[in-house]
Formats: sequence, structure tokens, C-alpha cells
Amino acid sequence: MAKTRHSTPGVGLISPPPHHDIYSIEDLAQLIHDLKNANPQARIHVKLVAEVGVGTVAAGVAKAHSDVILISGHDGGTGASPLTSLKHAGAPWELGLAETQQTLLLNGLRDRVVVQADGQLKTGRDVVIAALLGAEEFGFASAPLVVMGCVMMRVCHLDTCPVGVATQNPVLRERFTGRPEFVQTFFEYIAEEVRAVQYWKASGLDLEPILHVPALPEGTSRRHVVNQDHGLDKALDNQLIALSAQALEYAEPVIAQIPVRNVNRTVGTMLGYEVTKRYGGAGLPDGTIDITLNGSAGQSFGAFVPRGITLRLLGDANDYLGKGLSGGRLIVRPDENASFDAATNVIAGNVVAYGATSGEIFLRGLAGERFCVRNSGVTAVVEGVGDHACEYMTGGRVIVLGPTGRNVAAGMSGGVTYILDLDSTVVNAEMVDVETLDETDAAFVLSSVRRHFEFTQSTVAESLLKDWDASVKRLSKIMPKDYKKVLAVSAAAEREGKDVNTAIMEAVNG
Amino acid sequence: MADPKGFLKTSRQTPPRRPVDVRIQDWKEVYQDFGNGELEQQASRCMDCGIPFCHSGCPLGNLIPEWNDLVRRQDWQSAIERLHATNNFPEFTGRLCPAPCESACVLGINADPVTIKQVEVEIIDRAWDEGWVVPQLPDRLSGKTVAVVGSGPAGLAAAQQLSRAGHTVAVYERADRIGGLLRYGIPEFKMEKHHLDRRLAQMEAEGVRFRPSSDIGESVTWPDLRARYDAIVVATGATAWRDLEVPGRELTGIMQAMEYLPWANRVQEGDMVEPPINAKGKHVIVIGGGDTGADCVGTAHRQGAASVTQLEIMPRPADQRPDEAPWPTYPMLYRVTSAHEEGGDRMFAVSTQQFIGNDEGHVTGIELIEVRMVDGRFEPVAGTERQLPADLITLAMGFAGPQAETLVTQLGVELDARGNVARDAQFMSTVDSIFVAGDAGRGQSLIVWAIAEGRAVASAVDAYLMGETNLPSPVRPTDRPLVV
Ligand SMILES: Cc1cc2nc3c(=O)[nH]c(=O)nc-3n(C[C@H](O)[C@H](O)[C@H](O)COP(=O)(O)OP(=O)(O)OC[C@H]3O[C@@H](n4cnc5c(N)ncnc54)[C@H](O)[C@@H]3O)c2cc1C
Ligand code: SF4
Repeated sequence: MAKTRHSTPGVGLISPPPHHDIYSIEDLAQLIHDLKNANPQARIHVKLVAEVGVGTVAAGVAKAHSDVILISGHDGGTGASPLTSLKHAGAPWELGLAETQQTLLLNGLRDRVVVQADGQLKTGRDVVIAALLGAEEFGFASAPLVVMGCVMMRVCHLDTCPVGVATQNPVLRERFTGRPEFVQTFFEYIAEEVRAVQYWKASGLDLEPILHVPALPEGTSRRHVVNQDHGLDKALDNQLIALSAQALEYAEPVIAQIPVRNVNRTVGTMLGYEVTKRYGGAGLPDGTIDITLNGSAGQSFGAFVPRGITLRLLGDANDYLGKGLSGGRLIVRPDENASFDAATNVIAGNVVAYGATSGEIFLRGLAGERFCVRNSGVTAVVEGVGDHACEYMTGGRVIVLGPTGRNVAAGMSGGVTYILDLDSTVVNAEMVDVETLDETDAAFVLSSVRRHFEFTQSTVAESLLKDWDASVKRLSKIMPKDYKKVLAVSAAAEREGKDVNTAIMEAVNG
Repeated sequence: MADPKGFLKTSRQTPPRRPVDVRIQDWKEVYQDFGNGELEQQASRCMDCGIPFCHSGCPLGNLIPEWNDLVRRQDWQSAIERLHATNNFPEFTGRLCPAPCESACVLGINADPVTIKQVEVEIIDRAWDEGWVVPQLPDRLSGKTVAVVGSGPAGLAAAQQLSRAGHTVAVYERADRIGGLLRYGIPEFKMEKHHLDRRLAQMEAEGVRFRPSSDIGESVTWPDLRARYDAIVVATGATAWRDLEVPGRELTGIMQAMEYLPWANRVQEGDMVEPPINAKGKHVIVIGGGDTGADCVGTAHRQGAASVTQLEIMPRPADQRPDEAPWPTYPMLYRVTSAHEEGGDRMFAVSTQQFIGNDEGHVTGIELIEVRMVDGRFEPVAGTERQLPADLITLAMGFAGPQAETLVTQLGVELDARGNVARDAQFMSTVDSIFVAGDAGRGQSLIVWAIAEGRAVASAVDAYLMGETNLPSPVRPTDRPLVV
């Protein structure tokens, strides 16, 4: 479980994870675009909680090119959901759905999205009602789980599910008695009921408002008939893919150079998709595709880029650089002719390396706010960051060779951050300790700073390296508390030749 | 919040029973309490389920996970508060209930359920020992009067609830002592009667008046009673027994279980030294494989029977929950009660052909035949006839319904299709101000159902008298146990 989530066994995760990459509809549009680049075959879903005004939000989401809009009702939620969301979030999906359908129709947006409904759908009757209100797809979760044996214990997050549905404990998994046929039969019954349901008199209810169909121009479709235009044909990546043909086909090294402008969003992502499609999660050997770009890159530069791709940007980048980075290397430094002082100027925007899982980032200059939020494995070197750096980080290494904003390491449960001349009052110490570097740390930071200099010719790195013995003393280490304990347990287990995972589970379960 | 991993660390344990050779020498209870700390361990197995099915298994809706956790944390005083919040008499159910809650326990899906009943009884026993069970007097009296007829668990629960709500309550009982089947029927070794006496003393201190030896319909007529009280609760039980009409039934030495068991109760009460009907030195046959039969078995053992054989017409039930009775239902199982541990034989799938007697008209034996179920009917298997010697035969074949003749003749109360006293959703019979609760309305059932009905009827009576009520109503007249 920890492996698939790129986290550390034995260290808790904050769930549900906060979406600190989305603060506006524009952020969302960018994320949809990034995801579509990451896999043009996939349908991008946006899930909205049914509530008053959801129609307006849905219209915005349709304009942001979501392929599917899911209207989720108030009475769903897994057993692990906090009670606040379980009991107090949202309105009935029936109302949310009706509002969505009507708003989309009025704005001529209905035909380009698929509308889905979910939230405690249990019967064929629910399906028919959702269809009448405008849905064309129907999500079931709790009911099929119950069919498999779930008894709604609401302990999905405690690893103690007594019927073995949501647990990693082998003893409890033994107790799982569900079979695929149960679920199959359940859905056969649903389908059967859908065929049988007839409209029955809903006495006392005036359903006109929610079944209302707005006056529509002739020929308007009330369901999904055309696909969203994600504009992928205009992407710079089409050129990158062409340039990388040798690498994609034969895994041969490719070196290329190409100009970039800030209208080129999500550069490298579709190229990454092509690599992943052919070579799977492992990617290509490090540096197989090495592309230098000159100019100012648009948002989401290098998002989701896998191993084997190195993107060198001479210029600067916008927000979301390296979002979801998956093994690739991103290097950003000012143009050689730039006259300004790189160390005191911003080179990349907000939300760098959000949710990144592996790879490397070297930034010669300052980055914006929310640097490396939810990073779970990337090594990043930067010369200064804004507020909320390393928030909710679960893994990876971050080296900040300059000033930081406030609220560093809030909710950080894993990974390590090294900061030069740290003002410890900016650290959110709830889950982390500030420590001095040991020898292993110092060796790691030294080699990283050397590489930073190599890749970017950073003057900051250069001056630090000149008197490294003095420089290393200026560094502080931010270490999550539970993470440290687990690391100690696994180191001890390794020394004693015991199975590391068993040792961790023993230590955690007590 | 319970210990989420308790059920993985501890396995189910029940306290030891007293050794058989010791316990059949006396009439004291069979079970012992746990030693120090063991009960807390057992309570920690409760998973505090998101959907606690035990709540629906228990007709009282006992807040089981709450008091399990309080016991785990050794907060015994809060535990009894939570337990008394839904159950007037946990010392009765904690000893006598077949614990449908445990059949519905989520842990029971694939492991042994929590020992709910044991936790329950130890909470209340400790509360009595600590002096935490004190009379609860009403804040003010309503000026309304209620007569409760029948002093079994249903009548007692109704009386306690109504009295605490401020009504003036008198309980009428035709027997010479209060308690219904708890007093005369259920043997001492299942529940020592001082538990009952202690509870009755609390109720008297709360203002309930007890009127034993008052057979309503006979010594006082129903209309007289109705004229004297604002409401009447009929809680007269299902005391009409089923009989066995086969040749030889008229022989002496053949009797109903309820003609046999109460004598043993009277001996324990100190009314006499030897019971007029005694199994000592006799070959005893008990017809009926249920709990009443088991009570006869245990009583006969203690009286020193030469042999005890229990007969049941149904085939032997399974040891494990069968597929056709899935969790969380209450399954038919082969249950070994304490009486069965103490000895005797059990025969299944046999039917009585006739009783055999001697010249004095006393029974000497019984002729049996094996039966098979064919199309829902028992068919004798030819050639399987056999005889067993018998000096004493008790019939424990269940109860057909209430003895409601005088209610019908004197008040015109109607019975339902099964012969129980008919009632509406508010527990009221077809006659205004006459309410019905317990086995009288439901048919033969359990103590826990009787208490639940008593609580519910109290709520209905309170609403009837006052126009509104704050009393809880755990069950509806139409609710049925979770069985298939
Ligand atoms: C031998 C035996 C053992 C049992 N063991 C268990 C057990 O272990 N666990 C369990 O859960 N259940 C057991 N039961 C069932 C349980 O006892 C009954 O379901 C329960 O007692 C019913 O309660 P009640 O208040 O409705 O009626 P009862 O307890 O039957 O009380 C009715 C009372 O009304 C009195 N009465 C009747 N008519 C009149 C009248 N006209 N005027 C005045 N008084 C009247 C009767 O004398 C009696 O005392 C057992 C039953 C029997 C027979
Ligand atoms: S009264 Fe019976 S069913 Fe209810 S909790 Fe006690 S033992 Fe379980």
C-alpha cells in the first residue's frame, strides 16, 4: 500500500489529501489539461458535491474541458471519511443533478460532457431517477461493497476491518468471503430492476422544477454527443515527440534544442506519456532524451515527466513546474545573456513539484509558494522559496539554499528538508523536528550542491562550495518525527538481518 | 472509542462453571464470575462497530458498545447508568437471556462474538454490590392510577417505568408471590431468587404496590378493576400449555412442566422441605427439547433422579450456524445447557406413541417411534418403535397462548388469530384503557422481549394518560426476533 502511494510504511498519511494545486477554476483547467497530456486516452473526471450553485460550477468545469462531470450526493462517503464530510457535506444528488443538467443546457455545454451521478445509489429505481434528471452514467460503491461482505464498520482507515475488505492484515484478509459473482449478480438485479421500474405517482411532490427542460434551440442535445476539444494538437509536445522518435522507438539517446514560449503549457508531458506507454513505469535509462528549451515556459512545465527525460530550460517557468514529476529531471536557469542576479530573482512560479513522486529538480533562483507540497520522492534544489514549502510532504529531499517564507513543513510526514540559514520560527513544528546534519546528510547535500552547480553554474552553489566546511554548518535539517522513528526501526532491522516490513508493522502496531 | 485491535489480541472466554458433582448437590447458580481484569479484557474485544448489529439483536436496544468500552476502562458506574438506560432488570437478562445480541455481533461473522451477556451481568452485580442501585423516585405524581395484572418481567418493567413517570401503580398477581415465571418456573440454579427480591424491594421503595394472591377475573372482576384505575396493563403471560393427546395421558405421574417445576421453587422459598412431586430415585422422561425441558432436566438431577431422558421431535440441530440461518439471525443450534452438562440422555426425531401404566393407573413407561419430516409433516418410521421405563414424565411442549377467558367474557376484549390478546400499534386492546404487554400479547417469548414490551407499553400508557410521553419505546407490538 505504501509503495503504490509513494509513502513510507508505518507513517500515517493525511487523508483526504488537500488539493493545494487548485485554488481557482483556472488552476483546475490547468490540471485537466496536464492530466489529458499525461494520458490523452483517459477521460478526465471532475467530481462535484451536489449543493446549491453546483450548476454554475459544473458549467465552469465543462468550460475547463473536463470530459466527465460527476455529481456526488450528500449521503455517500467511505467509512474512513471524517464525520464532518459524512454527515454535513452536500445536498441530495437529485437536486444537484437537476441543477447541473439545466445549467449546462442553458449554456450550450451539455453535449460535450458526460454527466455521472453517485452517492448511495442502491437500486434500479435510483438509476432511473438519475437518468430522468440528466445523468448518463451511474456510480455504485457502498452497495457492491456490502454485497462483498462489508458491514459498514467505518474502520477502513484503521487496518482492522473484521471482514477483510479494507485491510492489509493477513489474518483479517483471510476472513474475506466475497466473490466476484456476488457483485455480478447484484448488478444483474439492478439492470433487471431498471427494466421493470415504471413511473409511479409521487404524491404530494411537485417534480416540475427538477424535471424542467429549458427552452432550447432546435437540435440541442440533452446528453453527451461530442468530445471536449482539449487542444492537444497545438501542443509543443507534438514537436518534442517528433524530435524524440529514435528514443521512443529504439531507446537511443536523443539530444535536441527548441525554443519555448509561455503559451506552451504542460511541456514534456505528452512526450512523457509516449515514453510510459512504450516502456511502462520504469521509463527509459536516465538522460536518454535530453532537450534544451530556450525561453519562458508556460504552466506545468515538465508535469508528470518520467525517467529518461531531462528537460533543460534556459529562461524561466510559470506555476506547477514538475507537477507530479515521475522520474524525469528538470533543470531551470536564466538565459546566459540575462543581466539580473539569478540568486535574488524568481525563476519558477507557485506549486513546484506538487505531488511529485520521483526525479530531480534544480532551480537556479527563487521559486514561489507551496514548493514541493505533497512531494513523495523528488530531490529538489532551489535557492529560495515562498510560504508553505514542503507542506504535506511524505518523501523525497528538498534543499533550499536561500530564504524561505513562513509555515515550512506543515503536516510534513516524510522526507527530509535541508535549509540554509534557517530562521526556525518559520517552521511549523507540529510534526517535525529541526536538527543538525549528520555525516550522511552532509555528504548528500554536498553532492547535490555540486550537481546543482554542474547543471546550472549557480553562483550560490559556487560560493558555498568554496568554503564547504563553513557552509555545512549553516544548514539545518527538518525531520518528521514518526518518519524518523520508522527509519530507525528499519535500520535496526537491517542490521539484525530481520525483515524490514515486519519490523515496522510490529513497531507501529505495538 | 473501543480498542480497535482488542478483538485481534484476545479470544473469547467465558467464566468457569462450577464443577458438576459439586453443583448438583445444591441449587445455587451454575456460573461464576470472572477473576480480576478478565472481564475488561473480554469487553475490549468489542469493535465499536459503525453499524452495531447487536443493537438490533437485542430487543431492548441495549447500548452494548458503550458499556463494553466503559467496562474496558473500568468506569463501572457510568456503565451501569448506560445499561439501566435501556434495561430495567439486567440481573435477569444477564443470567437468563439467550443473548440474541451475541448472535448478531459483527465479530460473530467469522469469529467468536463478544461475551455481551457476561459483561451485562457483571456490570449490574457490581452495581448492586457497590450500592449504586437505589430507588428512583418521581419528581412529582401525576395523580393517575394504573393497575398492572401479572408480575412477570413484562408487568414489572411496565410498573417500574410508569411509577418512575409519576403514576400510582399496583401490580396484581394471582400467585402467592410476585415475579411471574421468574419466581415460579425458572429454577433457582439459573437465577437465585434473591436477585428478584432485591429488585422488588427497590420497586416498592419507588412506590409500586404489590398485590399477590389476586386472581383478576375471579377474586376481582376485570370491570371492577377497570372502574378503579385510569388504565390497565394486561401482562398475564402465555400460560396455556400445550398437551399431548396420546393413549395413557390420564395416568398419574404424567404432568405439565409447569405442574412440576414450581414445587422446586417453593422448596427453595422455604415453604416446604420436600416437594410433593419429586424425581428422587425415578426414571424421568422430559418431552420437549427446549429450555423449559432443560429446566426439568436440571431440576430432576438435583432431586436425585435415577435417570433423565429428554425427547425432541425435531432432528438434532447443527453445532455450527447453518447456511440457512446466516448472520445476524438467531440460529437453531445444538445447545448444551448447564442441565445437559450434568448428565442424562437426549433423543431427537422421536415421537410418543403411547404411555404405559400399571394397575394402579401410574405410569411405568413410554412407547416411542422415530419420525422423519416428509413434506413438512412428521411421518413415523415403521419398525422403530421402542419402549423406555418411566416413573415421572413432564411435558414441556410450549405454550399455546394466554389464559384470557375472563378478559373476553367480562370485558369483551378480542383475541387475534393466534389466540393472543389483540392490540393496536399503541399496545391497546380492543377495549379502551386496557393495554397488553409481554407473552399475553406476543405469545410465548423471552424475558428480554417481555422487558422491552413492558417499557414500550409504559410509554404508550403514559402517552394515553398525559397526552405526551418521554418514556422510551424500544419495540413495536409487531416487531419480531431476527430469525429465519
Ligand atoms: C420454565 C420456563 C423457563 C424459561 N426460561 C427462560 C429463560 O431462561 N430465558 C428467557 O429469556 N425466557 C425464559 N422463559 C420464557 C420467559 O419466562 C417468558 O417469556 C417471560 O417470563 C414472559 O413474561 P411475562 O411478563 O409476559 O409473563 P409471565 O412471566 O408468564 O408472567 C405472567 C404472570 O401473570 C400472572 N397471571 C396470569 N393471569 C393472571 C390473572 N388473571 N390475574 C393475576 N395474575 C395473572 C401469572 O401467574 C404470572 O405470574 C422460560 C419460560 C418457562 C416456562
Ligand atoms: S438483554 Fe439479552 S439480547 Fe440484550 S444485551 Fe442482554 S443478553 Fe444481549
